[in-house]
Amino acid sequence: MGRRTVVVIVAAVAALGLAAVPILLALAAPADLGGLAPAGDGSPSGEAINELYWFVFGICAVVFVLVEATLVLFVLRFRRRPETAAETEGPQIHGNTRLEIIWTIIPAVILVVIAVVVLARSPAVEATDGDRSNELVVRVEGHQFYWRYVYPDGEIALDTLVLPVGRPVRLEITSYDVNHSWWVPDLTGKRDAIAGQVNDLRLTPRREGSFDGGCAELCGILHAVMPTTVEVVSEEEFGDRLGALGGQDESGDSQLALGEATWEASCAKCHGPEGAGDIGPPVARLGTLVDEEALRELVTEGLDNPDVEGYMPPVGRGWPDFQLQALIEYIRSNEALAPPEGDGGGR
Amino acid sequence: MAVRTETAVPSWREGRVTGWLTTVDHKRIGILYIVTSFVFFFASGLMAVLMRAQLSQAGNEIVTEDSYNQLLTIHGTAMIFLFVVPILAGFGNYLVPLMIGARDMAFPRLNAASYWLFLLGGLVIFSSFFADSGAANSGWTAYTPLSTDEFSPGTGQDLWILGLHLTSLSSLAGAINFIVTIHNMRTPGMTWMRIPLFVWAIEAYAVLLVLVLPTISAAVTLLLLDRQVGTEFFAVENGGPVLWQHMFWFFGHPEVYIMVLPAMGMLSEVIPVFARKPIFGYKAIAFSTIGIAFASMLVWAHHMFTVGLPDYLQAWFMITSFSVAVPTAIKIFNWLATLWRGHLWFRAPLLFCLGFIALFTMGGLSGIMLATYPVDYQAHDSYYVVAHFHYVLFGGTVFGIFAGTYYWFPKMTGRMYDERLAVTHFWLMFIGFNAAFLPQHMLGLMGMQRRIYTYDRGGLFEWYNLVSSLGSFLMALAILVFVWNMAKSWRSGTRVGNDPWGADTLEWYATSPPAPHNFDRVPYVSSSRPVRDLRQRLRENGS
Repeated sequence: MGRRTVVVIVAAVAALGLAAVPILLALAAPADLGGLAPAGDGSPSGEAINELYWFVFGICAVVFVLVEATLVLFVLRFRRRPETAAETEGPQIHGNTRLEIIWTIIPAVILVVIAVVVLARSPAVEATDGDRSNELVVRVEGHQFYWRYVYPDGEIALDTLVLPVGRPVRLEITSYDVNHSWWVPDLTGKRDAIAGQVNDLRLTPRREGSFDGGCAELCGILHAVMPTTVEVVSEEEFGDRLGALGGQDESGDSQLALGEATWEASCAKCHGPEGAGDIGPPVARLGTLVDEEALRELVTEGLDNPDVEGYMPPVGRGWPDFQLQALIEYIRSNEALAPPEGDGGGR
Repeated sequence: MAVRTETAVPSWREGRVTGWLTTVDHKRIGILYIVTSFVFFFASGLMAVLMRAQLSQAGNEIVTEDSYNQLLTIHGTAMIFLFVVPILAGFGNYLVPLMIGARDMAFPRLNAASYWLFLLGGLVIFSSFFADSGAANSGWTAYTPLSTDEFSPGTGQDLWILGLHLTSLSSLAGAINFIVTIHNMRTPGMTWMRIPLFVWAIEAYAVLLVLVLPTISAAVTLLLLDRQVGTEFFAVENGGPVLWQHMFWFFGHPEVYIMVLPAMGMLSEVIPVFARKPIFGYKAIAFSTIGIAFASMLVWAHHMFTVGLPDYLQAWFMITSFSVAVPTAIKIFNWLATLWRGHLWFRAPLLFCLGFIALFTMGGLSGIMLATYPVDYQAHDSYYVVAHFHYVLFGGTVFGIFAGTYYWFPKMTGRMYDERLAVTHFWLMFIGFNAAFLPQHMLGLMGMQRRIYTYDRGGLFEWYNLVSSLGSFLMALAILVFVWNMAKSWRSGTRVGNDPWGADTLEWYATSPPAPHNFDRVPYVSSSRPVRDLRQRLRENGS
């Protein structure tokens, strides 16, 4: 009796210990749960994903603890004792049809329950708060290696997306080159950016703040350094921010701002902030930078000749003329980048 | 009556080296497969350690961004095509004829050709690091458009395609060989309900390979044409990016079960021997093997929940993915029931089987989480997925492979491995594995994307990464212990007899190592445990 009791107690403690690990982790972890659950509670859809996560996680955790505890219990209970001879066999039990049926049906029923709940709740994942007629539609383009955002009136933002709090947003996600995936975990789940198709992602930012994210689909050499930030601000501030963005028919400061943002997002990551070269070659003061035709060809075609050191992706596909002109204006205004006077038109 | 044909072989083929180079003996080919696969395993494991070193701290600069992408591509490709699939073919080669009481595989020369194609494919893939712009760097999934000539102009991607073609041909020929052998060369009395469960698993492995390998061969051929001839099969206007994913995963997901079923078959051999009991639910395990193989072909688009499929397809692929969990659970429960009331003999093979059950359960359950497609919106392409498939393929398959390696080592070499080193290997590996991959679940949910070469977050995020890297170093240490054990024991381990474990299946009736012709004669098979039957008869006659 004594030994069996000890074994059962040890196994029970082990099982409880296993079960306690996630709970202790949750208690010890910071407010974002330390990775025990998805981060996203910044929008109703992110919240709906989290609810489903906890529901499935709870069921899986119970199954996990039961299976592992059984394993530990059997390992302790049925180990061969020193007094048992090596060739001693256990009972010759070949199976039990009733048991097989039971442990086929139980997992099947559990999975049916999960499937029904998930399907019933899945509309909530696409849901947005507020009035859809007021929906803000932003086009999201993945490029090697930056994000280009286009607002309804043509304002262009790069890498940083500003959204008004509490208003439904539909992101129309696409790509101009390889596959990317737009993911800001604090807000909601990800959606792939694929050339030739537009994927909708709906969300309503529910609190102000700055949320970091990036590209989740391997997209080439700088996949890791393709971050994006979503800044959720009040409606008034949103209007101001939108006004400061460079769009069509802009000139002066907002044109320079668009040019600078374009340089930083699509040029500087490879050629360095001052064009002195990084993983790409130095480009500062090259005539091509201010030659509209040459620059357009370079950024829409890229360089894929393997003989050229450092292949260049076609970073500028889908740019309207005014974005290219803004980039050139910015380069002209930047002392480190602008080619010497008189060299402006040459190749 | 077996005939010794070996004496008729010209003498130059009997040399120490030429004997191995010209062999058509399934056992030698099996060992060639196993040793070669382990070498590729160590090489791609080293790549993983390099990647973990790079990720151990924020902003490290141990490898460049371009090298990192090459490393992750070749690590994944090599682990799958050059380690797991071929090493299972190696064990299948060595064991299937012995287990079913056959003289050799059905097509010995084709068998040798399979091995040499595999080696060639492996050399092509590894030597692609020396190509003009390095090895392929678009991931083992080689998603278009990234893998097209426009975005990956280097020859590395073409060499990757060539390497895949060579290993696919090798696997396809090997699979046909297995199927013909299992269907036609079973010894009298070896009915379908008496073949060892490992042979059932190899049958399912081979059938799946025949069904899905042509898809990947077709896909990479079309990619090659796009790259070299200028066709537009995967052009964006033709929906190419999504078409590639469908073709790739139609092969890619069954591939996971190709890699896991034979390891499960190994467990079904090892556990009963070390529990001193018959396997619980032979038929349930055999049929669940078929069930998993069938269901595995219906689930591919659960890798594509974020590409924007229509809702009804998301629901369909979630439900089919759930359905794989049922036969998988049946296996786990039957193994547990085999342990129940046994006299568990804690040698290394059993330890690795228990490790498999413990870790694969975790990987299976995180698979349910991922199959829940709204949850996948967060977890997909994050480190959560990396953690999940390593629990399945390393915690599962690789632990199973180590169980099998220690279990059949005495049969292959005639010598026993060093038990203390093997147990050390197990604990280092078990602890290292959990340290490396458990934190990756959390990292994924915190927002760490897959396949990034650097990150700039500190705090808990960086700590998890450091623990993960330290775990991978511990696993590397475990592998060193394993290699030392194998090298030492192969040279000078204690000699053992035919059947050191008191096992059940026919390979243990042959000598250790078996003669080239395997058996002088094969005992009549009247159950799924012919060697135990023989032991019982001897004992009854002796008393």
